[in-house]
Amino acid sequence: MQKPIQALEISKSYGDFKAVDKLTFEVNAGEIFALLGPNGSGKSTTIRMILDIIRPDEGSIHVFGQPLTDENKAKIGYLPEERGLYKTISVLDMMVYLGKLKGLSNAEAKRRSLDYLERFELADYAKKKVSELSKGMQQKVQFAVTVMHDPQLIIIDEPFSGLDPINRMMIKDLLTEFRGRGGAVVMSTHQMNEVEELADRLLMISKGQQKLYGEVNAIRQQYAKHAIIVEGTGDWNALAGVRSVEDTPNQRGAKLLHLADDVTSDMVLEAIARSNAYIINRFERAVPSLNEIFIRAAGEEAA
Amino acid sequence: MRSIWQVFQHEFWHNFKRGGYLFTTFGIPLLAFVLLLGHNALNANRQEEPLADILQQFNFEGIKKAGIIDPAAVFPTISMPLRGVLLPYADEASAAEAMRRGEIDLFYTISPDYLETGEVTLHLPSLKFTLINTQPIEQLFYTTLASGINPQVLMGLRQSATFETFNLSRAEGNSAVDRGADFIMLYFFTIVFIMSVFVTNGYLLQTVLEEKENRVIEVLIATIHPTQLLAGKILAVSVIGMLQMLVWVIGGLVTLNVALSLPAMQGFSALLNIRVPVERLPLLLAYFVLGYMMFAGLFGTVGALSVSMREGPGYAAFFSIPSVVPFYFLQVFLETPNAALPTALSIFPLTAPISMMMRLNLAAVPIEQLVASLGLLALTAFGSMWLAGRLFRVQTLLSGKLPRLRDLPKLVRS
Repeated sequence: MQKPIQALEISKSYGDFKAVDKLTFEVNAGEIFALLGPNGSGKSTTIRMILDIIRPDEGSIHVFGQPLTDENKAKIGYLPEERGLYKTISVLDMMVYLGKLKGLSNAEAKRRSLDYLERFELADYAKKKVSELSKGMQQKVQFAVTVMHDPQLIIIDEPFSGLDPINRMMIKDLLTEFRGRGGAVVMSTHQMNEVEELADRLLMISKGQQKLYGEVNAIRQQYAKHAIIVEGTGDWNALAGVRSVEDTPNQRGAKLLHLADDVTSDMVLEAIARSNAYIINRFERAVPSLNEIFIRAAGEEAA
Repeated sequence: MRSIWQVFQHEFWHNFKRGGYLFTTFGIPLLAFVLLLGHNALNANRQEEPLADILQQFNFEGIKKAGIIDPAAVFPTISMPLRGVLLPYADEASAAEAMRRGEIDLFYTISPDYLETGEVTLHLPSLKFTLINTQPIEQLFYTTLASGINPQVLMGLRQSATFETFNLSRAEGNSAVDRGADFIMLYFFTIVFIMSVFVTNGYLLQTVLEEKENRVIEVLIATIHPTQLLAGKILAVSVIGMLQMLVWVIGGLVTLNVALSLPAMQGFSALLNIRVPVERLPLLLAYFVLGYMMFAGLFGTVGALSVSMREGPGYAAFFSIPSVVPFYFLQVFLETPNAALPTALSIFPLTAPISMMMRLNLAAVPIEQLVASLGLLALTAFGSMWLAGRLFRVQTLLSGKLPRLRDLPKLVRS
């Protein structure tokens, strides 16, 4: 099966400003791929190049094994960051129109629209105008429009913005279900906890250049400190192999133990187990959150 | 093609179901029909009014002094209220001379068999609607020949005069045709053109700006090519516009036919002579189609460049206001349809559709002017469509700001 996206050394400039600079990445079927980066880093330009809305100045993009064709466009569901809906026509009419543009027949577009409205508990709003829907409802309709034609690739910019926790969970379930069926998801977001929870791989860009690329877990391990996080009681400074102890930000009661260079976490665990002076409730390697990695990578760039 | 068809279907129904469109397309002809019936009913009621009230309603409008030639002395005298207004002349030559000197605004010739036929001929210095007025003769009739008759009976006689109207300034062999009737047709076609072109092309502008403001545009152009989107939209508003014109023309003809059968309308001599200018229809259609294309392209261009619903119509005014300039010179067109100004306006593409439609109804237009006018209009129409196609691109559609004037050539070339 052809990879949903293969981008090779793509670049795009607007006048003197280089929005994207020699990016190379792939998105596989059956994965959620996160596109990360600070504002103005080139994420939207990258997405628009994938969708052939704009053309790269250099490099090539293959979607399902070839430059994007009209036929393959129908295999993509796209939800841009600045998204909207027709305000003055009914929800159902609008969904049917957008479904038909994606290649569905009138009857099929109507059937699927009603199915999704039912699933999103919006069936009663089918005949209402979009302007009568709350923002959360509109978000759900936008998501339904993105996936109703059963795409093989979903590209979604800030998928969870404006959603309450229940609807957020619903969209997460839909995305993971879609991945489970072999679909590929590209999501651009600032919400790192969502990336940690959902994404299999990521690409982080800053000023149009690649900063991080690969599996989420591998990147986190790569940024892991030579330290462990513990929760419990005891004099952590007295523990053999511990160089220094500090409180962990945002984790009440947890301590970050920095280890000597020649000491491993296994050795520390063994020392704790041998001593009666310590009681531990938590023991784990100090892997940074994606948020920390994001800030660190972006900070390095800024520095 | 499939995408264009989908856009066309959506745009057609979306615009067709607009309250404004339904009202202007179906409501206005219906309203005209209802007003016609209302006018007839009111006129029928007037038969109950006493003569004094009827006489008070006479309105000579622009007529200050009128000549009257009554060779058979049908009217024994000029009655008191009309003395100083109706001036008797011995023959048409002396009356025409007085009219040329400006002593009278117009003159009437009473047919010797008036009592049998009710025939009176109205002579005008030029075509002026306000002078086409039968009421001085009606009043003369009421206050002389019919002065002893019961007012109820009089009302039945109010339609007794049948006028033939001649415009002395255009005596070149077309006296059988009522120019007032032609003028009504001209006015009708021009209004239909303006309403149809600007109302429906306004929808084109509105839908593009809605999609930009609602941010649906990015989803659309990620699915189909911008030119497919533009083509579907233009096709839809064109059909909407044609449909509107068709409804108005059919509605107008039905209303006219009904009007001709109503007693209250028998006094409107212009109406009686109205006929559809079949021989000019192909030319009128050509101007309509090319004019429509030109304005669709221009509205599409403004839609592509504008950012919001507030500013778009403002920019459209740059070409929509000049296009109706010929109306400001209506009098010039009526009096001298082949003079320099009407000729220039009918060749300049923006004003050509309306100007040439007016001229074609008023005079014979030299063939070389028609060719030049149609040629330039066709070039401009295709040029504006091309421009809209060039600017209806991602760069302008997704831009959050209006491009600078000096950037336009670059955008067109890019």
